[in-house]
Amino acid sequence: MTDYGHNLLFGTFVTPSAQQAQQVVELAVTADRAGLDLVTFQDHPYQPSFLDTATLLAFAAARTQRVHVVPNVANLPLRPPAVLARAAASIDVLSGGRFELGLGAGAFWDGVAAMGGRRLTPGQAVDALREGIEIIRDVWDTDERGGVHRRGEYYTVDGARRGPRPAHDIGIWVGAYKPRMLGVVGALADGWLPSLGYLPRGIDSLPELNARIDDAAQAEGRDPRAVRRLLNVMPVDFGSSTRGLLQGPAKVWAEQIAQVALEHGITGWIVGGDDAAQAERFGQEVAPAARELVAAERARQA
Amino acid sequence: MNLGVALDLARLDPGDASAVARLAEAGGLDLVAIAAAPGAQLDPWSAAVWVAGATTRVAVGVAQGEARPGSPADADVANPAVVAKARESLDALAPGRVLVGPDAWRTAPADATYEELEALAVDDRPVVVPVASVDDVRALVARVPARTPSRRSAAALARRVPGIAYDEVPASLVEHAIEPGDPGYRGVRSTYLRGGAPGLVLRPGTPDEVADALAFARRHRDVPLGIRSAGHGISGRSTNHGGIVIDLRRMNRIEVLDEERRLVRVGPGATWKQVANALDPYGWAIGSGDYGGVGVGGLATAGGIGLLSRNQGLTIDRVRAVELVLADGSQVRASAQENPELFWAVRGAGANFGVATAFELEAAPVGLVGWAQLAVVVPDLAQALVAYGRIAAEAPRDTTMFLMTGGARPGQAVLQLYGIVDDPDPDVVIERLTPFAEIGRLVQQRVVLTPYAGALASAADVGSDGHQGSGEPVSRSGLVDAVTPQLAADTARLLHSGEVYFFQLRHMGGAIRDVPADATAFAHRDALFSVAAMGSDDDALDAVWEPLRRHFDGLYLSFESSTDPRRLAEAFPEPTLARLRDLKRRYDPDGLLVDNFPLTLEEVSR
Repeated sequence: MTDYGHNLLFGTFVTPSAQQAQQVVELAVTADRAGLDLVTFQDHPYQPSFLDTATLLAFAAARTQRVHVVPNVANLPLRPPAVLARAAASIDVLSGGRFELGLGAGAFWDGVAAMGGRRLTPGQAVDALREGIEIIRDVWDTDERGGVHRRGEYYTVDGARRGPRPAHDIGIWVGAYKPRMLGVVGALADGWLPSLGYLPRGIDSLPELNARIDDAAQAEGRDPRAVRRLLNVMPVDFGSSTRGLLQGPAKVWAEQIAQVALEHGITGWIVGGDDAAQAERFGQEVAPAARELVAAERARQA
Repeated sequence: MNLGVALDLARLDPGDASAVARLAEAGGLDLVAIAAAPGAQLDPWSAAVWVAGATTRVAVGVAQGEARPGSPADADVANPAVVAKARESLDALAPGRVLVGPDAWRTAPADATYEELEALAVDDRPVVVPVASVDDVRALVARVPARTPSRRSAAALARRVPGIAYDEVPASLVEHAIEPGDPGYRGVRSTYLRGGAPGLVLRPGTPDEVADALAFARRHRDVPLGIRSAGHGISGRSTNHGGIVIDLRRMNRIEVLDEERRLVRVGPGATWKQVANALDPYGWAIGSGDYGGVGVGGLATAGGIGLLSRNQGLTIDRVRAVELVLADGSQVRASAQENPELFWAVRGAGANFGVATAFELEAAPVGLVGWAQLAVVVPDLAQALVAYGRIAAEAPRDTTMFLMTGGARPGQAVLQLYGIVDDPDPDVVIERLTPFAEIGRLVQQRVVLTPYAGALASAADVGSDGHQGSGEPVSRSGLVDAVTPQLAADTARLLHSGEVYFFQLRHMGGAIRDVPADATAFAHRDALFSVAAMGSDDDALDAVWEPLRRHFDGLYLSFESSTDPRRLAEAFPEPTLARLRDLKRRYDPDGLLVDNFPLTLEEVSR
């Protein structure tokens, strides 16, 4: 049983289809109206049928009121960390603190190379991510004087301008599956953002992977609770019978979410499907019910 | 005067950005530009996108991002390809509203009077006044006369291309015309296989409007002209760069004229999938190509080698009359009785003679057909091609099987065999397909009994999002009357070269051969196979295609992307070519219609 004690967050994973740009923005507005906490977009700049995710995030943030916008996850190899940090902080400032930074080390290296990016091995990409996160935090840290200076193995910054200062503490949520990446999550990140489909044994993988993050956090002298655990889940449906995680009646969704939240500490639930009706039910039926179940159980244990 | 504001990011409170932009929009201003501000912390791109998201009409001016070269190791330099993509994405999110500066606008002093602003408005460029707060915008709006925003924003007007008299677009066409700065532009600029950026897309809905469009085109002989039905053409340049496109997609009506004679009237902008669906309730079909997304106009004027051709003939063989607008704007009807020479020419070389506005076609009763999609793996490609050629040559008319592959690896190739057995009896379907399935190891098969419409159903319906082709298709065509061992060996070398990503043999013969060579402008009546290959580079494809030429007797123009005039005589062998040239002199002496296998009037030495 690992409950890291975070409040629950609910969100959608919207395909950033360039051909349906207006519908994509509409889905963000739907998430906002449905009372969801997050609207997230994958980031594959080499995918010609997708919009630029950084642009979409700023646009969607301007069209919404309460929902937080999140790249899920930002492609670090094609988004140099100081540039990414400034865009993230700018959207955060413009939106009054509604940006969170999902971040990934990159994959699909052919695509990265085709865009003029640098091809790294998975191992190198982990080290580059570690350097990247440090630079991002430096750019956001406007209390320090002078520019940002770092000379790393993968990134160099020489006097990069600091700021803007984010309107709130932007969470850095890293997509990670392998031991070294999970180590970076534990040591440096504010959140862990995997997709259920990529977990080798689904939900059953969570204890082992959580433990790696916890160990890495403790090794750095951090409280494991400093790392929020989130999960992308797709496909999902509101069927009349239960066939799996988030595949069944809304009531069952809420029970499953509460159970996994309390047992494995997953407190961010992001569902795919590009389905407005589904997003509305997620925000209006599932989220309150799951919050109630989790609150009741936490109160019982306290 | 186009008037706007420039947001001073160094002084603006980011929390006021939405309010400032919305007030500018509500005040009837034309542009909110993001001023370059060295002291600003806010990322100008994010701010510009934010402004676009916070507003709905006003143009958004973004600074031309400095193209700083940098290595991926420089953490502070954006990737140029990502920057370019970001700009395209903002165009998709805020269509027609993005204006790239800073030269696209003039900046006035913050306290400029209305007279001073007017003095700066010496050309189309908008004049902007720096602002940093809601009060600044209020003060500006108060000191200029009340404004009604124009139909096209400053951003839209800035994208007009030189050489086109936009203000002279005929009144009948204004409502539906699309310019580069208009919201619908993304959906009409490119075609299925070709990227384009035309300067003006005219979308007539009636023959009179087509005549108006052609009259406008006649006044613009210095820019390219493309005629588009559904935008699938390879040889037909139905998009271009900086020119005019006459897009006929609005003319897509399908109506049954005479049930007794199965006579159907179809607009050029309909797709063959729509035609198949409309005829399905009657139990009729008109053979088209092999893909439902292809438009009626292009195919029904060029040929139409399709899945029913061996029973029905080419699509042009089903045409009983064509109505068209000639290059000079006159409207004529061509049939066996009316303008018979023109009728002859438009069936095979129609793009040279006018813009078709309606076709009358005779459908045939077609019941359930066997629609087959097979995939076989073959160890010896050349041998398999010969086997396919033999089986296809021996097949009865009810059977049409096309072969498609995407290149080959040493020792193994996958061939897709797909087509129709025009017979509702499953036993007959199986009997006809079995020899094809035995060409190699059958790794995939899907055979269904379906109305003809079912075979065309898989084509995506293209709505206002249009096609998103990019670059230029590179395609070669040839016609043969047999797959000889020599042709097969040369083809195997072609497919092993790595230069071809799409290769197709279309099964011809049957009813196509029933029509005399001089009955239409498509003269290659004896061909048994159409051979087509697509690659990504013209010269590279030519190099590997050249050895095949000795096998060919002519080509099918719709699969040939080369504009080499020597190809003309292959598409139109004599005496067809001479006859066509005579008619071209008569019907389009100034050569207005040259977007698809233009008939050059002079002989070209071969």
